[in-house]
Amino acid sequence: MPILLDTTGQNPQMKDFHCETKCTWCDGCGDYGIWTAVKRALVELKIEPWQALLCYDVGCHGNMSDKLLGYRFHGLHGRVLPFAAGAKLANMRLPVIAHGGDGASFSEGVGHLVHSIRSHYPITFILHNNGNYGLTTGQASSLTWQNQPMNTSPNGIAEATLPSMDFVFSLQPTFVARGFSGNIKQMTEILKAAMKHRGFAFVDFLQACPTYNHFATHEYLLSKCYDANAEGHDASDFRKARALAVDTTERIATGILYQNEEIPNFYERLVPRQNIKTQAVDEVKKYDVSKLMQEFV
Amino acid sequence: MSRVSLKIVGASGQGINSVGEILAKGLKRAGYCMFGYREYPSLIKGGHASYQLDIDRAYIESTELYVHILVTLNHHGLELNLADLKDGGIVLHQTPHWTFKPEELELIEQKHLKIVELPVDEILNKMGARPILGNVLIAAAMWAMLGQDKEMLKTMVGEKFAKKKDLLEMNMTCIDEGFAYQDPKHKKLSVQMPEADSRWKDHVLLSGSEAMGMGAVHAGVRLYAGYPMTPSSPLLSYIADIQNETGMIIKQAEDEITAAQIVSGAMLAGTRALTATSGGGFDLMTETLSLNGILENPTVFVLAMRPGPATGLPTWTAQADLLLATHSAHGECTRCVLSASNAEDSFDLMPIAFNVAEEYQISVIVLTDKQIAEALYTQAPFHQDKAEIKRGTRLATKEQLAALKPSDRYDPTSANGVSLRWLPGQEAATFAAQGDEHDSAGTVNESAVNAAAQLEKRMRKSEALKESLPEPELYGNGGVDAPVDILLIGWGSTKGPVLDALKSAELKDLRIDYLHYTYMWPLKTEMLETLAVKAKKIILLEGNYQGQLGMLIRQECGLKIPHTILKYDGRPFFLDELTAALHQVLQSKEKTSRTVLVTPAYHHP
Repeated sequence: MPILLDTTGQNPQMKDFHCETKCTWCDGCGDYGIWTAVKRALVELKIEPWQALLCYDVGCHGNMSDKLLGYRFHGLHGRVLPFAAGAKLANMRLPVIAHGGDGASFSEGVGHLVHSIRSHYPITFILHNNGNYGLTTGQASSLTWQNQPMNTSPNGIAEATLPSMDFVFSLQPTFVARGFSGNIKQMTEILKAAMKHRGFAFVDFLQACPTYNHFATHEYLLSKCYDANAEGHDASDFRKARALAVDTTERIATGILYQNEEIPNFYERLVPRQNIKTQAVDEVKKYDVSKLMQEFV
Repeated sequence: MSRVSLKIVGASGQGINSVGEILAKGLKRAGYCMFGYREYPSLIKGGHASYQLDIDRAYIESTELYVHILVTLNHHGLELNLADLKDGGIVLHQTPHWTFKPEELELIEQKHLKIVELPVDEILNKMGARPILGNVLIAAAMWAMLGQDKEMLKTMVGEKFAKKKDLLEMNMTCIDEGFAYQDPKHKKLSVQMPEADSRWKDHVLLSGSEAMGMGAVHAGVRLYAGYPMTPSSPLLSYIADIQNETGMIIKQAEDEITAAQIVSGAMLAGTRALTATSGGGFDLMTETLSLNGILENPTVFVLAMRPGPATGLPTWTAQADLLLATHSAHGECTRCVLSASNAEDSFDLMPIAFNVAEEYQISVIVLTDKQIAEALYTQAPFHQDKAEIKRGTRLATKEQLAALKPSDRYDPTSANGVSLRWLPGQEAATFAAQGDEHDSAGTVNESAVNAAAQLEKRMRKSEALKESLPEPELYGNGGVDAPVDILLIGWGSTKGPVLDALKSAELKDLRIDYLHYTYMWPLKTEMLETLAVKAKKIILLEGNYQGQLGMLIRQECGLKIPHTILKYDGRPFFLDELTAALHQVLQSKEKTSRTVLVTPAYHHP
């Protein structure tokens, strides 16, 4: 069971997530679309602001942490996933979304991404994929195209571009989706499915960065992206999903690319928690250790 | 007869721990206070390791450098450990046809050592038993030598093998054989044991790590995340081993940063969560420590010290990370540093650490070291009515929650710097737990006025916290009202050997007080300053090079402690070497002195 929330009788509106802080993203930034889709997905799932925990890494996307309501966390660069997982494990009733950029998630914190997929924490991860380090003024990330001149790499980067989708699929994920920041409706649907997913949901949102990304622009993404689900893609076929996700030469497949609800998540696999109905947050009290002491007499 | 010490040596993985544990538990049940100490190199099989047991009628918490009995499971002990024996000591070995070198024979004669060979292979062959049973045979021979009751040993071994019936019978025969063996040269060889005292029977015999693990359970810890690193690993192992009893969520993380972040997320969500590591792992956790400072997120980190820098001496002990605990992590924020000294406070400090963390919404670092983490203590059953669970300003009722505004979370006007705390998932106004400098609701705010106000809010907690912490504990025959001539100052695992040294024949009649620090930061110095004015001689004892507590004391109150006794060779203070060093410093007419103790090479190959 991914969500233990009882949303009966709840009817949150977009305005309930509205906050007075003004957005500071550049004109045309993909974060506006993602920001809207996140709020819309929560509203359509009837989740009230106080019921959710939205976790942000450091980067342009992290500036969303005070641009909407809901319980929010804004942490260290690259480290959002284990923090979000810790919060979720302590309170499984809490829907938890973790946001991270391509810089943080495929460089500084790449180990956390690997082990979060492997651990199968029941959380949603949104990759704000704009192909560069935006907030530090446009340096190349490991997902920047090779030979692309960037800030601090005027001759283009010498390193190979990390094949992110192939890499993610190599980790045996159970939910992989891709969206485009210009298509809010599709992103909303993806997020709703991701939040209902049993385990770790990897959501790659390709996002325009009008200031620093001059290769995968909004127009470029608009012309390349298509809805694979609408074209009849079978999201239960791992091999086909992987091939579709990896090959972006002609067109870029978006939508829910792979989904498997059969694999138990991390919490479900914990033997000591099998018959416990409470959450770790409900269980803080003084425990009698007399029985434990017996072994040492 | 005073305390007796015996040391079992052999290769790592040869079973010295199992012999040591059988003897330790048995002797405790027979009415002795035990103190167990392990030395081993950083490898799994081979290498030379030891398990020493110190035995007394009175409470002890230290190890002697020179022992009464040496038990060696291989021939290396005959080469490497002869010099560890006291005059008249006994060596029990199992190496057939061993020839000592001339200088060894000289040492044997000089020290009047008694060398006893137990023909283990011969006896086992006769029984048709597997080599592993040699450990029980040795334990039984020792048991007889210590004049203990055979049936008691049988009961204990029976408990250990209760689930392996096939092995049980063979074990019992081994005990009979071990008891029956008589050395042809030294008939009825025995050691004069102190008189037994039945009060120890009901005590528990456990390591500091096990005590700390139990303390964590007692404190309401419901999630543990950690990455293996000696000497913090025994805590992870113990907590993981009892997970089916406790129902705790256990996560072996992919690295220490992950462990620290998982625990921080779980604490923000509102449970109690713990992680432990050693120096190198703690270095990795320090950015998270800084994050929790600005989030005002309560967290508890156990830092189990071993000698550094870098990998250093992985399986040895040190008290060299005090300044790391008090000063690491970027930026300025309030933190609390506590230090365990033995099994008892390893248990007691867990609920205290979580209470301080939640009451002040800060990180608490609990120091321990390899010595505490792995030594065996004879401990009275823990007092379970002492601890309270205090969760600070955390709000729970519907009315309280309904009245909240987002700006209550980091309200900078609170007098002691502590603002209201509520949890994600509680029906209330929401806030951002914000790693950027923020206003009272967690909204990013870079204005100068706000930055100063929020920093001051977080730092104000230091004053309130310092006020609430207890002064250091004073042991000895003086007191604040009747100060004595000599004042010793120390912290952590130094306490055990210092208190035992003060009971020794050489020092027991002198007017000496020992001031022991458990609450390391913020550092209280009022009591120390009062005592220091009256004392004729002040001596600082620490397991590091710089005298780190001395540095903090000087920083906080200007007092420079004139005499230091330091140790930084990876070994704890041994009782006999410490007693001798104290005696020497007390005799000295020098105004200042620095004594460094290094354990002689022949004790530690």
